[in-house]
Amino acid sequence: MPEPLPELTELTSRIALYSSEHAYEKLYKFLYPGLHRFCFCLLKSKELAEEAANDVLISIWRNREKLIAINNIRVYAFVTARNLCLNLLNKSGRQVFVSLDDINVDIVLKTKNPEELLINEELKLKLDEATSALPTRCKLVFKLIKEDGLSYKEAAAILNISVKTVDAHLVTAVKKLTSVLQLEFNLIN
Amino acid sequence: MDRSRIIELLARKMAGEANSSELEELASLISRYPDSVYYEELLGQLWQESPVENEHDTDDLYQKHLQKYAADFNPDLLLPEIYPDEEPSGKKSYKAFATIAICLVALSSLLYLTKSTAAKTDTQIVAGKGVRKNVRLPDGTMVWLNSDSKLSYSRQIARQKKRIVHLQGEAFFDVAHRDHQPFIVKTDRMSVKVLGTAFNVKDYAVENSSEATLLRGSIELSVNERAQQKILLNPSEKFALVDGQGKKGGNSPHSTDMTMTIAHVLPVTIGDEQYIEETSWKDNTLVFKNETLEELKPRLERWFNVKIHIESARAGSYRFTGAFKKEEIREAMTAMQLIKPFTFNLKEHDLIIY
Repeated sequence: MPEPLPELTELTSRIALYSSEHAYEKLYKFLYPGLHRFCFCLLKSKELAEEAANDVLISIWRNREKLIAINNIRVYAFVTARNLCLNLLNKSGRQVFVSLDDINVDIVLKTKNPEELLINEELKLKLDEATSALPTRCKLVFKLIKEDGLSYKEAAAILNISVKTVDAHLVTAVKKLTSVLQLEFNLIN
Repeated sequence: MDRSRIIELLARKMAGEANSSELEELASLISRYPDSVYYEELLGQLWQESPVENEHDTDDLYQKHLQKYAADFNPDLLLPEIYPDEEPSGKKSYKAFATIAICLVALSSLLYLTKSTAAKTDTQIVAGKGVRKNVRLPDGTMVWLNSDSKLSYSRQIARQKKRIVHLQGEAFFDVAHRDHQPFIVKTDRMSVKVLGTAFNVKDYAVENSSEATLLRGSIELSVNERAQQKILLNPSEKFALVDGQGKKGGNSPHSTDMTMTIAHVLPVTIGDEQYIEETSWKDNTLVFKNETLEELKPRLERWFNVKIHIESARAGSYRFTGAFKKEEIREAMTAMQLIKPFTFNLKEHDLIIY
């Protein structure tokens, strides 16, 4: 979980007020991995996701004069990324309207050092399988909160749902995981 | 029932969204169902795992990003070079090009003239009326030069003990921090000493007031006539020096009758946007708040490169608040007419208001 940078607002105001490229570089390096991950799970292509993440960031730079009105630059970036990805998907082929719910999102569970943990490769496959059956928004909530360390409120703003729904989605995802764990380790109810 | 409650609470705890009463409830549930410790352990392991970290070399990616969108960033210049503010119109860039040419001529002639005093100022940057410029000094300091202003400095500035620049007019400085090389801005009326900050200095010979506005960091300021008296400025403060003599020019610079004030800088809200009046010019926006047309006159003249004659005292005392971005002089005047009734006549570079 990346620690939320406390100076994020300071970076933003430095970009907005002084066009500081140095501050932009820091912001870029902080936001890029999360944005790339988020775009990748919507677009399913490394190259497209790379392009989308870069586009989101340059649009922040180009609109820097307006940044001062933005409270949470991370949420702003993710929302921009969401819109950009959905636009891309809607444009590319199929004139069918694509909504967040129609996208197949993969949750990849990875562990640093499997030997030391209770969770081995086999179990991980089972966990992946279990989570893959979850609804898309549920998976996105899980990813945003777990991988990007976002708060309920931030995830809610990005996915355009209520905080309560975020909570419900997360609980659903965790329940799914624990049901696998329960079987695996013969835990009682 | 209890199990599902435990999972629910665990999920919130992982997300960092559980409140204290929920954490207490979870602790008591876990003590009642010792087995559930496993859930906490396993979920904790799953949660902590790194999400495919270090997959990206962000340094490399950022370099590529800079190259791809090079047009959006300042080219990294070692020598001082002058380039116009982002203005898509061809007309403007011709104008800027002409100014650059003139500057280069001026520069080279200056170089010849002042060869003996090379350690002093050997480089001069001039922004004419209606033109604003963005320059990077050799030491990395960014300077935005407002219309009708002149900045001179030495090419050796990065190696000097004191980085000294001379300013006539108005400029915004974002100073590159250097511990042992203070940056000093000298104008006709005052000098400002800093280490590394962002601030605006305004001292037009035609106006009887000079100003220094600090956005961040701190600066030490002294008025030339009272060199002993140092004034320290905190962020978001503005220092103003007003010559005490009559409003119009002709006042000797040696008058000791002057007023000094320090005020807080408050952003001005116009429409939906907020502006800082003192520095918005560097983003190509002219902002004014509750100023009479008479007070605005010199600013408008510089901004639009026109000569303004106010022939009606009534029109001169109208007060305006507003912001201009891309507007031409005619559009701007038409907009102001909507607020207060006056008529104007624009001929080439002369604007008559009556």
